[in-house]
Amino acid sequence: MTDRNKELERLMAAMPRRAITRRDLLRRAGAGAGALSIGAFLAACGVEGQETDPSASGEDTYTTEKVAGTLNFANWPLYIDRLKGRRPTIDDFEKQSDITVNYKEVIQDNESFFGTVQEPLSNDQAIEWDIIVVTDWMIARMIRLGYLEELDHSQLSNFEAHAGEIYKDPVYDPSNAHSVPWQSGITGIGYNPELTGGEITSFDQLFDPKLEGKVGMFKEMRDTFTLTLLSNGVEPQDATIEDVEAAQKRLVEQKEQGIVRNYYGNEYADALLRGDLAATMAWSGDVFQLQFDNPDLKFVVPEEGGVLWVDNMAIPQNAEHPIDALEFMNFVYDPEIAAQITGWVNYICPVPEAQELLVKQSKTDGRYYKTVAESPLVFPTPEMESNLYSYKDLSPDEEEQWQDLFGELVQG
Amino acid sequence: MAAKSERGRLTPYLLTLPGVLWLTAFFVVPMVTMFSVSFQEGNIYEGYRFTGHWQTYTDTLGSYSEQFLRSLWYGLIVTAAVLLITFPMSYWIALKGGKRKNLFLLMILLPFFTPFIIRTLSWKLILGDEGIFLGTLKNIGILPDSYQVLATPTAVIAGLIYNFLPFMALPLYVALEKLDPALLEAAQDLYSNKRETFMNVTLPLALPGVFAGSLLTFIPVAGDFINAELLGGVNTTMIGNVIQREILVNLDYPEGAAISFLLMAGILLGVFLYARALGTEELMG
Repeated sequence: MTDRNKELERLMAAMPRRAITRRDLLRRAGAGAGALSIGAFLAACGVEGQETDPSASGEDTYTTEKVAGTLNFANWPLYIDRLKGRRPTIDDFEKQSDITVNYKEVIQDNESFFGTVQEPLSNDQAIEWDIIVVTDWMIARMIRLGYLEELDHSQLSNFEAHAGEIYKDPVYDPSNAHSVPWQSGITGIGYNPELTGGEITSFDQLFDPKLEGKVGMFKEMRDTFTLTLLSNGVEPQDATIEDVEAAQKRLVEQKEQGIVRNYYGNEYADALLRGDLAATMAWSGDVFQLQFDNPDLKFVVPEEGGVLWVDNMAIPQNAEHPIDALEFMNFVYDPEIAAQITGWVNYICPVPEAQELLVKQSKTDGRYYKTVAESPLVFPTPEMESNLYSYKDLSPDEEEQWQDLFGELVQG
Repeated sequence: MAAKSERGRLTPYLLTLPGVLWLTAFFVVPMVTMFSVSFQEGNIYEGYRFTGHWQTYTDTLGSYSEQFLRSLWYGLIVTAAVLLITFPMSYWIALKGGKRKNLFLLMILLPFFTPFIIRTLSWKLILGDEGIFLGTLKNIGILPDSYQVLATPTAVIAGLIYNFLPFMALPLYVALEKLDPALLEAAQDLYSNKRETFMNVTLPLALPGVFAGSLLTFIPVAGDFINAELLGGVNTTMIGNVIQREILVNLDYPEGAAISFLLMAGILLGVFLYARALGTEELMG
C-alpha cells in the first residue's frame, strides 16, 4: 500500500502540468455546467412537438464536393488536447490542410445538445456545424431521423487502416456509414476501498445493504439498465421488455432499502472523491483522472460485464463544409495525432497503435505518458474488451417503455 | 367635437396596447401552444399530432401525484419558514433600523449578488458526508459515521429556504416601512399591551406584505427543480424535476406540458384559497 503510494507520488511529480490542468478545469467547469444546462432547459421549453419525417435525409449528395477551407466543429468541453492555451491537434491540422477550424466546446450532454439542433434538422435545414460529437445511441437516433450525412469512406483511408477492430461496423451504425469514433469509455464501478471495506468485483455488491446511503447510480437510463441487465445474466442486445421490468424491480428494491444515495450525472465524480459515495457506477476516464487526486480510488469492470460506449464524429445533414469534415476525421486517425489527443484527454483511444507511440514518448517526456499508455482504462486489455457490451439499439416503442420504467425508478 | 370624444374614448385602450401586445406575444401565445401540446400524441420519430388525448392529464396525475404533493408540501413548509424568519428581521429593520436601513437591506441582499447555482453548489461542499462540517463533527464523535445531511429532504428544504428568503423579506419590509409609528403610540395610549398592539395594528397592516411575499415564495418554490437536483437524493424528487426530465431527456412534450398545466392549476387553486382566507379587502390596504 505505502509502496504504491510512494510510487504514485513520484509519478505525479514527474507528470507534466497539462494533465493536472485538465482535472482542475473539469472541476471548475462543474460549477458552470449546471448553469449551462439550465439555459439549455429553458431553450428546450420552446421546442414544440412537431412532425418529423424519417425519410427526410433525401438525396445522399453533399452540399459541395470541394474543400471549402473552413470547418465548424462542435465538441464537448476538454475533449481535445491543449498546450499553453493552444490546441496542438487543431493547429497541426490547420497547418497541414489550409483549413481554418472553428472549434467550439458547445456540447454539455447529448440530450440538451439534441434539443438545440432538433428544430432546424427536422425542417431539413442546415445547422452551423460540420462535425458534431455525440454518443452512440444518439447517433442511432439521429440516423433514424435522417439527420446525418453518409460518410464517403473513400476519403477515410486512415480510419480503415488504423481504427481498432471493435470500432468497425458497430451495432448502432452498421459499417460506420454515418459516424466514426472520436473517443470512447467504459461504464463500470468506481469505488473507494477505504469506505467499502474491501474489493468490489461484482455489480451485485452495489445492492449490498451494508453500503446503505453510500451507493451512486446513474440517471443515464441506458447505463443503469444495461449494467443491471448484465448482472441479471441478460445480454443487452437480447433484452426483452420483461427482462427490463425485472431489472427495474431490482433497482426499485435497491432504492427502497435506502442503499442508493442518488441518481447522478457527471457530479458523481466529485461525490466519490469527497467520500459521499463508497461505490458508484462510474465512467473509466473520470476515475483515471480522479486517481491523481486520490490514488486509492479504483475502477473495475464488473465480472458480469460492463458497457463500452463510443462518442462519435458525424456530419449533420446539409452541412456546409462536408469535405473539410471528412479530411479532419481522416486526420485524427493518424496514429501520431490519436496519441496526442489521448495523451491529454485520457479516454479510450480508437487507434490501438497510439499505445506504442505513447510508450515511446514516455522515454523522452516523462513517466506520465507511461501511466497513460499502460493504463487499462485508456487501452483496455483484450480480456476487458471481451467483457464489454454495447447499449441495445432501441426501437421508438422500446425507448418509450424503457423511459417509463426508468422514470418510475428515478422520480421516486 | 364628435371626433375628439371618439379619440378620448380610445385613449385608455391605446395606452394599454403595449401591455396587451406584450402579454399576447409572451404569455398567451406560449400558453395556448403548450396547452395544445398537452393534448397531442406521438413521439419524436413519427411526430406529434393533436388528437385531443386528455388522458395524459389523468395518467400523469396518477403516476406523479407523490411528486405533486411533495412540491406543494415543500412549498408550504418553505413559505411558513421564511415568513417566521424574515418577519422579525424586516420588522426590526423597518422600525428600528434608523439611518442604516439601507445598509441592513443590502446585507440581506448581498449573498444574492452571486449566482444561486454557485451558492447551492457550495452547500454541497460544506455539507459533504466527510466535508469540513460533518467530517469534523464525526471525527470528534458528536455524530455517528453514517449521519448525512445531503440527499435528504432536510437538505432540499433548507436549500429552498436559503435561496428564497429575500422574496419574503423585501415585500414584508415595504409593508412594515409604511407603518406609521403614531398608530402604535395611539394603540398604547388606548391601553393596548404589546401583544394586542401587534395583533390589532401591526399584523393587519403588514398583511399585504405577507400576502405578496407568500406568493413570491410559494409559486417559484413549488416549481423549483434545482435544489432537489443539487442537494436532494432518491426521495426528494419534485414536480419540476419530472417536467425537466419529460421535456429535456424523454422528449415527451405532451406529458411535460400536461404536468406543467396541472402544476399551474394546483398553484392557482392554492392561491385562490389563500386570498379568500386572508380576505381581499384587507389586502387592498
